[in-house]
Amino acid sequence: MANEFDRILDECIDRINRGERLEDCLASYPEHAKKLEPLLQAMFDTQTAYTFTPSSAAKMAARQHFNIALEELVRRREERRSLFSWVLGWSRAWVAVAAVLLVALIGYFGLRPMLFPIGPSVQPSPEGNFVFLISDDVNAIGDFQNLNISISKIGLQAEGEDGQWIEFSPEVEIVDLTLLQGDKAQEIWRGDVPEGRYTKVFIYVSNVSGILEETGRSISVKLPSNKLQISKPFSVKSGSVVNFVYDVTVIEAGRSGQYIIKPQVGESGADRSFEKIDGED
Amino acid sequence: MSANPDNDKTGMRKLNEANLTSLYEEYYDKIARYVYTHIGDGSEAEDIAGEVFLKALESLKSYTERGIPMQAWLFRIAHNLMVDYLRKAVKRKTVSIDTVEIAGDADPATIVEKNMELERLTKAMDQLTQQQREVLRLRFFGELTSKETGSVLKKSDGAVREMQRAALEKLRNLLIVEQ
Repeated sequence: MANEFDRILDECIDRINRGERLEDCLASYPEHAKKLEPLLQAMFDTQTAYTFTPSSAAKMAARQHFNIALEELVRRREERRSLFSWVLGWSRAWVAVAAVLLVALIGYFGLRPMLFPIGPSVQPSPEGNFVFLISDDVNAIGDFQNLNISISKIGLQAEGEDGQWIEFSPEVEIVDLTLLQGDKAQEIWRGDVPEGRYTKVFIYVSNVSGILEETGRSISVKLPSNKLQISKPFSVKSGSVVNFVYDVTVIEAGRSGQYIIKPQVGESGADRSFEKIDGED
Repeated sequence: MSANPDNDKTGMRKLNEANLTSLYEEYYDKIARYVYTHIGDGSEAEDIAGEVFLKALESLKSYTERGIPMQAWLFRIAHNLMVDYLRKAVKRKTVSIDTVEIAGDADPATIVEKNMELERLTKAMDQLTQQQREVLRLRFFGELTSKETGSVLKKSDGAVREMQRAALEKLRNLLIVEQ
């Protein structure tokens, strides 16, 4: 009996995965509907809570890498076949030597260099053409004595569906948002990035810690994600320096006593006026 | 079968390459969703999903249809890559829920509500056994059949069906209590 119910439940899960409605599954097994429904509802709740749709850009980029890797694999196989056929005409000793050399070459050049090609490397430089600053748009920041965010990585994506990402580590890794309210902004990286048009920017936040003004108590602040990404186009041209202000804000989530940090797209960009500070009290 | 075993091997490899390529469109999304349920970071999940197919391409010569269908084999690779990722990321902050590209009009209250619902589900899932969680992930997000799930987990499909029922019953009871 239990096995039969398990089989029916399994079939319903397959049918729902294929796009059928829960009601249709229950209609197929009315004698089990009372027991089936809550379990299938739990399935829906789980799928809904973990809803995630991969971005088409990421999928396309990964497909490109895959296609390149496949082409390279086929090319090498063809080369090995033609080389091997040629070598087979030699004496046995020379065939063994050639085989060893071939294995060594394949091992040395490998597929690895083709995996996830990274954009051009960028280095910090005092004379750089690009400056990255952090600022705070005032919301609930007044509730905090201090609010430190740790930024471990910054990324810029060049224009275009398959635009390359440029990533670099900030020179200043921890900023206190209570010092950066309104127009105040702190420089965390300066250097040279390739000229061109960029459309997306992210910061990777590895840690957030704050102390509430009222209680002196430390509090955990939530993030929508470690990687906070915004779409904000800007251009880097020769002969000029771009100052990009990445603005975040901290808000209180309802009356839960919880706080959340989120990026402020509207207050971010290369065209923001700002008052530069050095982050010291 | 041809008289030349090398031709057979090459033929088999080309067939496997073609199968792997044909699985990409459908299974990239499923693998990314499956990984996301483990690590909670959409961007990393996308990266790992891409890496699964590259890894599969590298390991294709050792794959045979015997014992495990290719789509199930991809999830085994995904699981291994994910374990590596989690091992390296053990000190990283784990509160991330999703890589959300914040538009100017995104409602923070909706984000928090979604996060709270996810926390509720995650808390309930944490009380299942590891095998039960894995069965639900492969069935609901990987959309594998119970037989394919059994191939990944090295269990019979009968055992998978039993685990999936027990997991759903427990999950259902936990969610009622939480409400």
